Amino acid sequence: MSRPLGLGAMSLWALRRAARSLALLVGASFLVYATLRTAPGNMVDLVLGLNGTEEARATLRAEFGLDSGVLLGYARWAARAATGDLGRSITFSPGEGVAELALGAFAVTLGLALVSLLLSVTFAYALAVALGRPQPRQGLLLGPLSFLNAAPSFVVAVCLAHGINALIHLQLQGGGRVGPSWYPIPTYQSISDSLAPFSFAMISISLGDGLFMDLFNAVRAELRAVSGAQFMSAVRAKGARTRPHIVKNLVVPTLSLFTARLPLVLSAVVVVEYIFTLDGSGYLLFEAAKVRDVPVVVGVSLFFIAAVILMNLILDLVKAKVDPREVARVE
Amino acid sequence: MWSSAGARRALGAPWSTSLTLSALMVGAVLLCGLVNPLVEYDPVLEVDLSRRYLPPSAEHLLGTDGQGRSVAFRVFKGVEAFFFPGLLAGLLAALVGGALGATAGYVGGGLGRGIAAALELLDTLPRMVFLVLVCTIYQPSIALIAATSSLLFVPSVATLVRRRVEALAAEDYILAHVAHGFHPLKVVGYHLLWLQCRALLIRQFIFVFAYVLFIETALSYLGDYGVQEPRPSWGNMVAQTRTSPTEWPWLFPAVAIILTIAALLTLGDALAQREEEVKR
Repeated sequence: MSRPLGLGAMSLWALRRAARSLALLVGASFLVYATLRTAPGNMVDLVLGLNGTEEARATLRAEFGLDSGVLLGYARWAARAATGDLGRSITFSPGEGVAELALGAFAVTLGLALVSLLLSVTFAYALAVALGRPQPRQGLLLGPLSFLNAAPSFVVAVCLAHGINALIHLQLQGGGRVGPSWYPIPTYQSISDSLAPFSFAMISISLGDGLFMDLFNAVRAELRAVSGAQFMSAVRAKGARTRPHIVKNLVVPTLSLFTARLPLVLSAVVVVEYIFTLDGSGYLLFEAAKVRDVPVVVGVSLFFIAAVILMNLILDLVKAKVDPREVARVE
Repeated sequence: MWSSAGARRALGAPWSTSLTLSALMVGAVLLCGLVNPLVEYDPVLEVDLSRRYLPPSAEHLLGTDGQGRSVAFRVFKGVEAFFFPGLLAGLLAALVGGALGATAGYVGGGLGRGIAAALELLDTLPRMVFLVLVCTIYQPSIALIAATSSLLFVPSVATLVRRRVEALAAEDYILAHVAHGFHPLKVVGYHLLWLQCRALLIRQFIFVFAYVLFIETALSYLGDYGVQEPRPSWGNMVAQTRTSPTEWPWLFPAVAIILTIAALLTLGDALAQREEEVKR
C-alpha cells in the first residue's frame, strides 16, 4: 500500500469535499422550497384551510418566508432551518416543533436503512462466495432468484407478513399453538415496541426492489475483478495467502455500493415502515401528508436529503482514508 | 434501482426461452392496456356478497374477492391504472432526456455541467420522499405521479445520452457530415440520436414504464395517493391482505406485478445486450 498523502493535502481535499456537500444541500433544499412555492393558489390557504386564525397565518408566512420573493424567501427559510427551527406542526401534532418530531423518527429510519443495506450486502457476499465462478448449472438457483429483481419491497413485505400470519393462523386452528391469538404483523394497531416488525421490515427492504440481486451482481463482478487482477497473480505466485489481499481491496468498492444505493433504500424504507407501522419518519411522512401538514412533510424531506448527503460525505471520507487513491477518483 | 443486465447474467444459458416468455408477458400487458378503455367495468355493480372468496373456476378464472368480484377481471382492469401514465411518462423522459442529453453532449460546456449537477441533486433526493412531497402540495393524481416520475428520470436519461453523444461527436464520420454542410439538427437528431441512441432510449423508456408501474402499485397499496377502491389497481388489490389477512386473492395481482416488471427488465436487458453486440 502506498504511503498516505500528507495531512495538509488530505484535509484540504476533505474540506473541498465537505464544501461540495454543502452546495448539494443548498441546491436540494432549494428544490424542495421552490416546489413549495409553485403550489397552486395560496400556500397558507392550502395548509391552514380557510379557517386559520390571523396569528397562525402570520406565523406560517414568516416561517416559510412567503412575503418575499423565492430567493429571499428561501434565504430566510434556510437561515431558520440552519438554526434547527423547521417550524411547527399544524394538523398532525399541533404546535409541536417539526425538528423534534422528525429527529426521533429519523433515528429509526436511518437505522433501518443502514441495517438493511448491511444485511443485503452480507448476504450478497455470502452467496457470491458460496457460488464461486459462474457456471451454467447455477441458472437453476439463480433463475428463480432473479424474480427477486422485480419484486417491489411492499410485495415482499406482504408475502412475508401473509406467510407468517397464515402459519400462525394454521397453528391456532390446529391447536398446535395456544395463544397469544394475535398476528405478529399488525394490520392497523402499532406494536412497534416489539422487535418482530422491525426485523420483517429489515428483511423486506434488503430483498425487495431488486436491491439484493443488484448487490449480488455488483459484488460478484467486484469479486471477479479483484481476484482476476494482476497483483493477485503475483500474490498467488509468491504463495502468499490470497484472502487478506482480496478483502482489503474489496473495502472501497463495497463502500461505493452503499453510497449509490442509499437513496433507493430510504425510498423503500418509507413504504415498508408504513406497512409495518414502525414509528419512523416514513410513517411520519405519510401520516403528515394525509392531513396535509406541509411543515412536517417538508421538514422530514429535509432530513432525508441531509442524511443522504451526510452519509455520502462520511463514506467518501472513509474511502479516502482507506485508499488515498480515491481522492483522485472522487474529485 | 434494478440491477442492469442482472436478470440476463443470473439466468445464464436459457436466454432465448426467458426472452420469449418476457416478450409474451409484455405483449399480454400491452394488449390488456390497449383493450382496457374499450371494456366497460362498473366495480360497484360487480359486487355480489353471495359469491365471496370463490375458488378459481371456469366462470371466474382466478376466483372472486371479498366482495364477490371476479379477480381475473379486476387484474385485467388494473392494467389501466399504470398503462397510459406509464407510456406517457416513459415517452416524456426519453424525449426530454434525449433532447437535453444530445444538446449537452453536442454543445458541451455549461449545459453539460448543469445536467450533471441536476442529476446529482435529484440523486440525493429519495424518489418516494419527493413524490409524497409533491402529492402533499398539489392535488394528487396518477397524472401528477407519472409526470413527477418522468421528471425524476430525465437527468439519468440525459446523462446516458450525453456520454454517448460526447464520445461520438468527435468521430470522423460525424465530422465529415458536419463538413459536408448537413444541418446540425439532422446530424444530432438522425445520426447521433436515432441511429446511435435508439436502443438506449427504448431501454430507458421501458425502465421508466416499469418504474411508474412500481410506484403506482406501491402508492395504491398504501392507499392515499394511488387508485382508490372500488376502482381496481394491482396495488390496492394486494392491499386487501390488510383487512383479510388469511384470504388469498391478493396473490394474483402480486404475481402480476412481479412477472410484469421481470419481463420488462428482461426485455430492456436484451436490448442493451443487442446494442453492445452491434457496437462491436
